[in-house]
Order: sequence, then C-alpha cells, then structure tokens
Amino acid sequence: MKTHRFKITPWMLWLSFLFILLMAGLYAAFRVFRDGLSVTNMSDLVPWGLWITVDLTSIAVSAGAFSLCAVVYLLGLKRFESVARTATFIGLLGYSMAICSLLLDIGRPDRFWHSMVYWNKHSLLWEVTMCVTLYLGVLLLESLPIFANFSLLRSRLPKLAEKLSHVHHFAPYLAIAGLGLSLLHQSSLGALYGVLKARPLWYRPDISVLFIISAVAAGMAMTVLASMVSARLTSRARVDDDVLKRVSQIIGWILVVYLYFRFWDVLSMTYTYQPGRTEGLDLLTGGPLSFNFWVLEILLGIVAPAVILIYKRSRAQPLWRMLALLFVIFGVAAYRWDTNLSGLMIVLSYLPGDPSITYTAYQPALVEILAAIGIVSFGLLSFSLGVRYLKVVDQARKELPGAASKKTRSVPVQSQA
Amino acid sequence: MSDKKLNRRGFLKLAAVGATALAGSQVIRHVGASEPVSSGGRKWAMVIDQANCTGCGYCTLACRANNDIPPEISWNVVTKTGKRGDQDVYLARPCMQCTHAPCVDVCPVGASKYRPDGIVVMDYDRCIGCRYCEVACPYGARSFNWKKFDGPNPLVPQWGQPEVERRPRGVVEKCSFCAQRIDRGLNLGLTPGVDEQATPACVVACPVGARHFGNLADPESNVSKLLRSRVSYRLREDLGTSPRVYYLPATEEATS
Repeated sequence: MKTHRFKITPWMLWLSFLFILLMAGLYAAFRVFRDGLSVTNMSDLVPWGLWITVDLTSIAVSAGAFSLCAVVYLLGLKRFESVARTATFIGLLGYSMAICSLLLDIGRPDRFWHSMVYWNKHSLLWEVTMCVTLYLGVLLLESLPIFANFSLLRSRLPKLAEKLSHVHHFAPYLAIAGLGLSLLHQSSLGALYGVLKARPLWYRPDISVLFIISAVAAGMAMTVLASMVSARLTSRARVDDDVLKRVSQIIGWILVVYLYFRFWDVLSMTYTYQPGRTEGLDLLTGGPLSFNFWVLEILLGIVAPAVILIYKRSRAQPLWRMLALLFVIFGVAAYRWDTNLSGLMIVLSYLPGDPSITYTAYQPALVEILAAIGIVSFGLLSFSLGVRYLKVVDQARKELPGAASKKTRSVPVQSQA
Repeated sequence: MSDKKLNRRGFLKLAAVGATALAGSQVIRHVGASEPVSSGGRKWAMVIDQANCTGCGYCTLACRANNDIPPEISWNVVTKTGKRGDQDVYLARPCMQCTHAPCVDVCPVGASKYRPDGIVVMDYDRCIGCRYCEVACPYGARSFNWKKFDGPNPLVPQWGQPEVERRPRGVVEKCSFCAQRIDRGLNLGLTPGVDEQATPACVVACPVGARHFGNLADPESNVSKLLRSRVSYRLREDLGTSPRVYYLPATEEATS
C-alpha cells in the first residue's frame, strides 16, 4: 500500500502467470458455452470426464474445512482454530471451483437452479446438489470473519467489518451444520456411483466410505500444504509449525485407514466373477489405469506419504512433509479419476445371453484441459489474494477478531479430554 | 465455559431437528413408494418378434422422422445378435419403459418420470443435461444432444412427419413409445396397437409385422394374447428393472 511505483516483483509475476491461465480457461469456457459440449471428447459412452474429476477433487480438498472446524468447535481443540480458518477459506474456494466445473459440465447451465426447485428425493445427485449449495452458504458465513480482515473494509466500513467478524460467535453452530452437510454429500458423491446397478464395477457400497476418508485426508493435506507454502513465500503468512506437524501426523494415520479400506475394497470385489467387475479391476491392476492405480494412488498417494507423515523425523523435515502432502492430494485426484473412468470404460452388453463387454476410451480434449487449468488457477489466484489481503494464513497470531477470551484457550482441551 | 455449554445444547437441538427431518422424509418416501405406478387401466407394452425381424431398420428411420431425431442419435437401435439356421437374428432396442427405471430414480430434477400408463417420459424443459441417467441406464437407451440439431431432417418427408418439438442442445433424449401418437389416438377414440394413427411409428413402419403394441392390462389385447401363447423374455431381467418391452425369441420352430 505504501508505494505505487512500477516494479516487477515475484508476486506480480505469479499473479500475471495465474491470470494468463485464467484467461485461457475463460476462453475454453466461452467456446463450450458457444459451441456446446460437442467440443469436448466426452461421448454417450463416456459422458463424464475430466471436469467431473476436477469437481470431485475440488470438493475432496475442501474437506479440511468441515473436519478441522469440527475438531475445533465440537471437540473443543482450540489450538487448531487458526488452521481451521485457513481450511475454511480453502473450502470456500474449493466449492466455488466445483460449481464452476459443474456449470461447464451440464448441458443446460441456465437451468442450474432446477434441482433447488424440482426435487427428486430419490436421486443422490439431487441430495449432493442440495448439500453442496447449502454448505457453500455455511462456508460463506464461516468466511465472513475472514473477509472482515480486509484492510480497506476495516478502514472504510468499520461497523460492517465489526458485524462480519461477529459471525464468529456462531462458529460452533456453523460447524455442526457443516459437519452434517459434508458427511452427507462427501460420501454421497461416492454412493452416486455405487448405486448404479447397470455398472458392475461401481455397484458396491465401498466407494462412499472411501470417498469420505480420502476427502478428509486430502482436505487436511491441502490446508497444511497451502499454509506451509505460503509461509515460505511471503512474510504475510505465518504458521505455527507444531500445529501443522500434529495435523500432518493425523493425516498419516488417516492414510493408513484409507489404505486398509482401499485394500479391502479391491480384494472384496475381485472374486465375484460378475461380468464386468473382474474386467474393471483388471483395468486398474494391469490395464490402462494401472500406472494411476499402483503408482499415483497407492504408492505415492498413500503408502509413501503415510510413512513420511507418521515417522517423526521425516515429518519434521518441511520439504519431505510438503512433498508427502502434495502426493496425498495427487493420489486422491487420481483415485477420483480412476473411479469415474474405470466404471465408464466398461459397457456391459444388454443382449440376451451375451455378457460381453465393450471397452471405451477417453482422453480429454484440449478445451477440457484448458478449462480445468483455468478452474485450478482461479483457486490459486483467489488463495494468493486471500493470503495477501485477508491474512488467511495467520496461524501464529494470538488474537483473532471476534474471539473473545484467547487467554484460556488451552484449558478446554484438557477438560474436554 | 458458557461458550461450551452452548455448543452442546446447540448440538443436541440440531441433532433432534435433524433426526425429525430424517424421519419425516422417510415417511414421505414410504407414502410415495406405495403409490401405484400405473393407473387408468392401461399399461402399454411392446412385443418384438425376433423370428420375423429381418433387420431392415425401417423402424429406426420412421422413428427418426416422426420424432425429429438428429442422424447421429437413435432411439431405436437394431443389432445383429446371431444366427438361427441360415437366417440372421436381430434385436431391436427401443427404450425399455422399465417399471423400475434407474433413470427416473437418479434424475436430480425429476425430468425423467413415469406417466400413469407406465411410459417413462422426459420433460425436456426441466432436464439440466447432467447425463446421470445416461450413465445409469443399463440399455444404453439415452442419448445426449452434444450439439444443436439444425437444418432439415433428411428423413422427412419420406419416412414421416415430425410430431414433436425438436429437443434443444444440452438435454438427454430417448424413446417415448410415441406417447404423442397414443394420446392423440385415444382422444380420437382410436385403440393404440390396433389403429395405425394411435400406434408407435416403429410398429407401423415394420414391413414384416415383427413389432406389436398394446395394453398389457387388457387380457384380450393383442400383446397379452401373444405373451400368453408364445415364450417371451425381457432384456437384463436380472437387474429387476422389469421392462415393458418383451421379445419373442427366434427359435427353430418359429423360423421354419
């Protein structure tokens, strides 16, 4: 704010870089809205592609918001409060990203509001849409105290800023609402696949369990990683490394649970000999998705980061820890991609006495990739601005606006336990 | 301290409200489930005789013209499934009009729905184009309008005249058993399945009489009689969707 002299700083380069990517994404979106979804590589056999993966992953990495808010306001572990604040902001951005990719993906974005008005209570997708919309509202309310940090707002409209930060008093209630809504739709996103009897590979109850566990791991990982990276790049972000280490350790143990369920999931679905199911597994273990499955999902996505984050000495190394967290996020993204595509790549014949399988293929078109890049850069750009102007990574601070008694913050922890 | 009390009380309150809401929705769901799917004394069904079908594809062409379907979409797909003796056997697949249709269950906006006479219809003004129904349909009976269909329909007029509005870009479409023909015919006092104007276009177009249409709820209708006298099957009965399209297999006796 002091100087307006023109000088190229890394900050400006970073913003311009993201801005260019955002523009590329907007161009792709323009083409999709003008020419229709025929410009994508999706087809009637593979009607869901890259954008669904972006959507599912954005929602997964937003799960830090509900899980950390629940830890802080329902379990009473106040030492995680400032991390939960970062997670809330990431959640707000993640859900905005998800809605962007959904608006691109549906054929009639002008009718996005239909599921609010025309209810089909049998549909998991209806439930997910309602929960996502309501939860976006919760996240907006939870983020109001963060927006009260904006210096311009505080100097120009101090009363409004005061009101916004007052919302912080409702944090426990919002945490309950967020927990309920998130538990519902994070698992339903997996169940959405699991209820389809026509798709033997998906038709099993495990996907919803895996979706929620992996989302909590990815959401916390995204929060810690974003905090650590911000703190290394700018003095405007400050972190309490002890807290981040603790969260990282929790992520490590969640990964162990995730691995256990994934292992069970894969093994339990192998030996059914149901047409389409065994073949689907082959796609993952030995077919075109095998690199994703073994390397990105299991080895780099679960096993390696679990070891790094649980083992105390590697966890203490910031670079190792950041690498592990990054792998967790990529691993969960790979899991979403594999789940979606493995089910769609296998089309079971409806002809009588003919359990034959048609294999389909899908590679995203350039316009799909550009749009996805645009959505991700929108998230990064918003987060960068948030770090700079809203102090979303300010975890070393003692006083929070609106939070009254900070002195006693460690007392409830012990009394709760 | 008082802060924490509020938490707990708030939690209990919200939990109670949530449980009540859940219970309420369960009750509603139960009431909804007990409602009969078909009423009005009519249950439309199609019977396709594989012994007669020659795979000419006239049904698909008539369907495309009467329902104004773009050339890259087929509501009715004819597949060669094998041989009986020296004769090829074909299977024509319209929408199965399932009694328990996965597409109706999954649609987030209720754009796919049951009519009282059992036909599964699309509300093209409501569809948001999410394509979940396409993923859910075991029969591949649904197609998405990836692009706008403009220009003349190449099959009009020699295969028929469009009777329904062309669907916009970005919605999913499918066979409707030519509900428009049934409704118009009933209004004129005609009998679907007997009078051509009241019968689905594919049934009328079939040159060898391999397709039959009628009211399954009427024991004296042609389809009821056919299903009583011949062996029939439905596609993927293991899924429990209970289709209203029946097939008469091309057995050796039937073809000879």
